Amino acid sequence: MARQPEDKAAAKFATSDGALIRELALLLDETSLTEIEIERAGLRVRVARNVSIAASLPAAAPIAVAPAAAPAGASAPAAAADFSKHPGAVPSPMVGTAYWAPEPGAKPFIEVGSKVSAGQTLLIIEAMKTMNQIPSPRAGTVTQILVEDGQPVEFGEPLVIIE
Amino acid sequence: MFDKILIANRGEIALRILRACKELGISTVAVHSTADADAMHVRLADESVCIGPPPSKDSYLNVPALLAACEITGADAVHPGYGFLSENARFAEILAEHNLHFIGPKAEHIRLMGDKIEAKKTAKRLGIPVVPGSDGAVAPGDDAMAIAKEIGFPVLVKAAAGGGGRGMKVAQTAQDLALALSTAANEARSAFGDASVYLEKYLQKPRHIEIQVLGDGRGGAIHLGERDCSLQRRHQKVWEEGPSPALDAAQRNRIGGIVAKAMQEMKYLGVGTVEFLYEDGEFYFIEMNTRIQVEHPVTEMITGIDLVLEQIRIAAGGDLPATQDQVQVNGHAIECRVNAENPVTFRPSPGKILQYHPPGGLGVRIDSAVYQGYVIPPYYDSLVGKLIVHGKTRAECLMRLRRALDEMVVEGIETTLPLFRALVREADIIDGDYHIHWLEQYLAGQTAT
Repeated sequence: MARQPEDKAAAKFATSDGALIRELALLLDETSLTEIEIERAGLRVRVARNVSIAASLPAAAPIAVAPAAAPAGASAPAAAADFSKHPGAVPSPMVGTAYWAPEPGAKPFIEVGSKVSAGQTLLIIEAMKTMNQIPSPRAGTVTQILVEDGQPVEFGEPLVIIE
Repeated sequence: MFDKILIANRGEIALRILRACKELGISTVAVHSTADADAMHVRLADESVCIGPPPSKDSYLNVPALLAACEITGADAVHPGYGFLSENARFAEILAEHNLHFIGPKAEHIRLMGDKIEAKKTAKRLGIPVVPGSDGAVAPGDDAMAIAKEIGFPVLVKAAAGGGGRGMKVAQTAQDLALALSTAANEARSAFGDASVYLEKYLQKPRHIEIQVLGDGRGGAIHLGERDCSLQRRHQKVWEEGPSPALDAAQRNRIGGIVAKAMQEMKYLGVGTVEFLYEDGEFYFIEMNTRIQVEHPVTEMITGIDLVLEQIRIAAGGDLPATQDQVQVNGHAIECRVNAENPVTFRPSPGKILQYHPPGGLGVRIDSAVYQGYVIPPYYDSLVGKLIVHGKTRAECLMRLRRALDEMVVEGIETTLPLFRALVREADIIDGDYHIHWLEQYLAGQTAT
């Protein structure tokens, strides 16, 4: 941690020292280092990240072009991937833009907690000015809505969780 | 210039297109089926959109899904690659209706050349020599026998809506004609939805020689020399090379000039290939392909012109990269299409590539989308990749090809690499002395022993 800055140095912190820490943080992300510490002109800075153990890293040499997720960020994509495997996931049958309501300003078709029957409209996916109603494949309760209103979606993308 | 190109294809050509886009600084959108989620070009693209399940008709041929993908990504142009929708005039028109650019020829020319009977009539009108044949379709009521006798047996019955080597039946003698006609018509109806057939003289030992052209759509067009694609199995090209061992500069310039002039008259836009059968010093037009072709790297290696890049530039309104006088053919290039097939039975061999090591060195190029650990899906074509080699002379090229083939490793699936290693050592291949039946005769000889 940086030492407590003196008053007149505090203003500088926001600019040059802040920039230094930002740069060191970037270096951590770009390399496989877990900790960087530097000292100059009476200021010592150490930037470190929590390491998750090798079990989560690919054993084989990763293909150069595939961006290897930094361990810190690994949880986010893993969470998104989980939904497509979720038994209650309703995948998108088409490419387009998802809307929660039949038209702007109208009440959304569903909300978290809604009870739906098989065939009931969950969302609209719009493609090339055609509105397509997306029916629920089964009866159940909406436990999660995974897309934002107006979000582009691809084929197979999980839209909602019905349990 | 375009801001964002959607690549409406897969496999090695999608990667090829992506590379050209990146070199032009154009953003890329990779669309893919669920089976291609791990494709190399999908990983490298700026954006990707899954457009459907594995079957092509639900994904790569799914026009609404492609349009929707353009819409949500804001792509302003679509490159169709080869196969799939690349020669679908209606698709080109639909894109135009939605203010999207189709990177390819004008819809009218795609349509014209897609109908093989009309294509031949057009070629004839433009002064391109054609195979002697029936004047248009042979209707059920016509005296097919009289037409065939005038052409002279053996004759070939060809589907008007066919192309790419499909929809053809030989009638060796008059006795075979009726059966060939009905079989060809039935196959054409089920494969292309159109039973129209026409007749052509069947050449005994021709070579397949094609001329690469490039047009700016405003009346400017150049030819980039020829490719010899005689080595085929079931009408699918296996080994292509340029220049053709059978032609000299005078013949090349003559046929190239005729073709370029025809393209100028048509005001052809983009890349195209005019295909001929060549026998006894004569050229016979068979068809024109209005798209980038699989074997385009052969021409790129000997002319130094990046055909996919030029496709994009020209589609955006750019000029031709050179005048005819500036086009130089340097050295010799050979391409081997390495397929995931058993090298003897040609049974498809999809699956996981456990070990992959491409060859390298001066004059060696691999156009492939595979990598170690990649699983070749069973739903599409079996191309593993194209090995293209260039040398200052044909002899040097053959030596380099031999060396590169011996270096290349693809394990975990069966490939046709052993076939190429054998071909590059065959006397007729080394002499350049082959024709369009050579490979099948060679393969038949191999299985017999």
